[in-house]
Amino acid sequence: MSDQFEPKIALFACNWCTYAALDLAGTSRMKYPPNFRVIKVMCSGRIDPQFVVEAFRDGADGVLVAGCHLGDCHYIEGNYKALRRMTLLRKMLDTMGIERERLRLEWISASEAARFVQIAREMVEQIKPLGPLAPRLQVNQ
Amino acid sequence: MSEEPKVGVFVCHCGMNIAGTINVKEVIEYSMTLPHVVDAKEYIFMCSAPGQDLIKDSVKKSGLNRVVVAACSPSMHEPTFRRAVEEAGLNRYLLEMVNIREQSSWVHSDEKQKATEKTKDLIRMAVAKASLLEPLEDLRFGVQPASLILGGGVAGLRASLDLAERGYKVHLVEELPTLGGRAARLGKLAHVDMKGAEMVGSLIKAVVSNPNVTAHVNSEVTELDGSVGYFKANIKYKPRFVDAKCTLCGECFRVCPVEVPNEYEFGISKRRAIYLPFKEAYPPVAVIDSETCTRCGECVKVCEPHAIDLDEKGHDLEAIAGGVVLATGFSPYEPPEGEYGYGHSKKVLTLFQLERLLDEDGPTGGELKLEGSTPRTLAFIMCVGSLGTTKNAHQYCSRMCCASALKNILTIKDRYPEVEIYTIYKDMRTYGRGDERLYERAAERLVKFIMFEAPPTVNVKSDNLEVRVHDATLQEDLLIPADAVVLAVGMSPSQSLPKVRSVVKVGCSAEGFLREAHLKLRPVEAPADGIYLAGSVTSPKNIVESVMAGSASAAKAAALFGKEEIRIEPMIAQVTEEICSGCAICIAMCPYGAISRKQKDEKRVAEVDKALCKACGACVAACPSGAMQQAGFKDIQMMAQIAALTEKRGA
Repeated sequence: MSDQFEPKIALFACNWCTYAALDLAGTSRMKYPPNFRVIKVMCSGRIDPQFVVEAFRDGADGVLVAGCHLGDCHYIEGNYKALRRMTLLRKMLDTMGIERERLRLEWISASEAARFVQIAREMVEQIKPLGPLAPRLQVNQ
Repeated sequence: MSEEPKVGVFVCHCGMNIAGTINVKEVIEYSMTLPHVVDAKEYIFMCSAPGQDLIKDSVKKSGLNRVVVAACSPSMHEPTFRRAVEEAGLNRYLLEMVNIREQSSWVHSDEKQKATEKTKDLIRMAVAKASLLEPLEDLRFGVQPASLILGGGVAGLRASLDLAERGYKVHLVEELPTLGGRAARLGKLAHVDMKGAEMVGSLIKAVVSNPNVTAHVNSEVTELDGSVGYFKANIKYKPRFVDAKCTLCGECFRVCPVEVPNEYEFGISKRRAIYLPFKEAYPPVAVIDSETCTRCGECVKVCEPHAIDLDEKGHDLEAIAGGVVLATGFSPYEPPEGEYGYGHSKKVLTLFQLERLLDEDGPTGGELKLEGSTPRTLAFIMCVGSLGTTKNAHQYCSRMCCASALKNILTIKDRYPEVEIYTIYKDMRTYGRGDERLYERAAERLVKFIMFEAPPTVNVKSDNLEVRVHDATLQEDLLIPADAVVLAVGMSPSQSLPKVRSVVKVGCSAEGFLREAHLKLRPVEAPADGIYLAGSVTSPKNIVESVMAGSASAAKAAALFGKEEIRIEPMIAQVTEEICSGCAICIAMCPYGAISRKQKDEKRVAEVDKALCKACGACVAACPSGAMQQAGFKDIQMMAQIAALTEKRGA
């Protein structure tokens, strides 16, 4: 793969924890790779696995689903629902030939801007060697 | 929507905050090429009055029916732009914000072109979603003009009194068997001729004599349902085993065979299993500590008024409130055993223990006596548990310890002028009004101040203590033989917080304190509406600041209670009954029990209770038919936003 490849990563962020962590990263002037495109939901429990599949289909090279820590969900247990759904979805992605590294589920609380930055850097580095996803999907279609 | 979407894109410069990184001109030109966009404008501060006017003018001139504002985080100015959109004659929910400051310019300032590209992507995605936005109506609910206040320390008491005086009902819930909190255990206070117990006592008296207040002491909130305007709490009364017939004659204290460390004296004296926490405790009724009581029954035998019932079980009570104030305070930093000799010698004590020793109502009657003698040399070690001085220490400054230690030093110097005192500190921060004078007075009394970079060590010897420190000013190692060492411990997040947070959902800061909605703009409000934060639940605070926060939270709650109705964002779940098959998968998904089934013509369909739905959207993700949708986060809106992740020319 060319060194020029910059993966595009869809970031589904819950309003209460991860979205607030992104705000904190901003106000703290932290630096992270500019590869993430944020899609806000009120809760990670809102994230339909179809959203993830659609994101891959529409050109995302990676998807990061992020919510509050288990036990900390603003809506009590929405993140457990996300955990179950993403676990199942991963198995489906296997059958589609989409590498597991391309979908990541993380718990990032409102104060964990630094943790987000670390995850963001890691994820970009993990996806870069995999190359873009879209051309392959187009071939398959 | 039958009408064709006409979207306007408004890009804010935020001074140089956005425009310094992002090529706004390029973004504007790009926006104009997007489907449905009929106008795109930039302005230096879109949130200012002229900025808002720009949006309103464009709505009128270009006939916009959707607005996209690319600026700061919606947590900052979404309400501002919703109002502007409404003033322009559009429904307030026909607005989509793009967070290009926090999510782009501030975090990618060294990659200007990539930040600009990302900004264009985010705007394209927002425009796609905005084109499908629908007008929504706020939900309107009545407000219960009553408050639930957790924590009976100074902050909770002040909040209770302020609300009660405004005529609102207050349920004040205190976990311990007495009101008063930490401040009630302080001796003489700084700058006022008053003891902690007196100050708190006067507040308690005013609070409990106000007919609007119900004080639930020795109780816990075990469940809290509902949301802003209407909360339903379950208050669990723990058994006290002694009722109001108690005359505090003291006979039972005399006969009780159990002796345990007295937590109200920070362990420097003992109490019985049946006890009164302290002289000014409220209610003035003895209490039995069920964990250490052996149920021997000796107290029952001697109790003349028959006030003791060892079989008491406790009970539950329901309380309704429109708003909740969390004022559950802090816990003093507890040094691990061996830190500065703590726990290895009774002559190493914390600042809180010293307060008790110097209090005339304390275990020694105010005499500074340790192991029977008054120390001749005292070393105060500051910043214990604060400023990252040791492995276990917090990184933050606890703010109150400097002034508090100096106050006690001056008390000691007044009573025992011959005692020699060393104050060993990392940083001396006497920031409160008048506090610097405490420092000057201590220096005038020849208290020695020694600054350290590496924390001192305390060596426990058979007859005294040896404090070794490298004086950062003199650049010399010092050895101070001391008869006692006082550790100026800081403030930790309250140990009761995990329990509180299991009932009320409020997030924590990195330091472990509760996190406010906005550090500077909304410091006494939790992110969730109707929940207020008072006192040291959010950060270390001294008494003045805690009382101020108590009053501030009461003012915020009162502003809520004064409303006839409240408007709540309508991002709730809604059912399309024509499609719903009544499979009930959504019912199991809902953590609030907001969904039920009703008969509709020939079939059963899901029904959402608008007051119970909290807008998480979990049911929507689970609905197999797409009948359940979340307003503002509908599947088609989300899918449009996702589909716009990459540019599709001609699509």
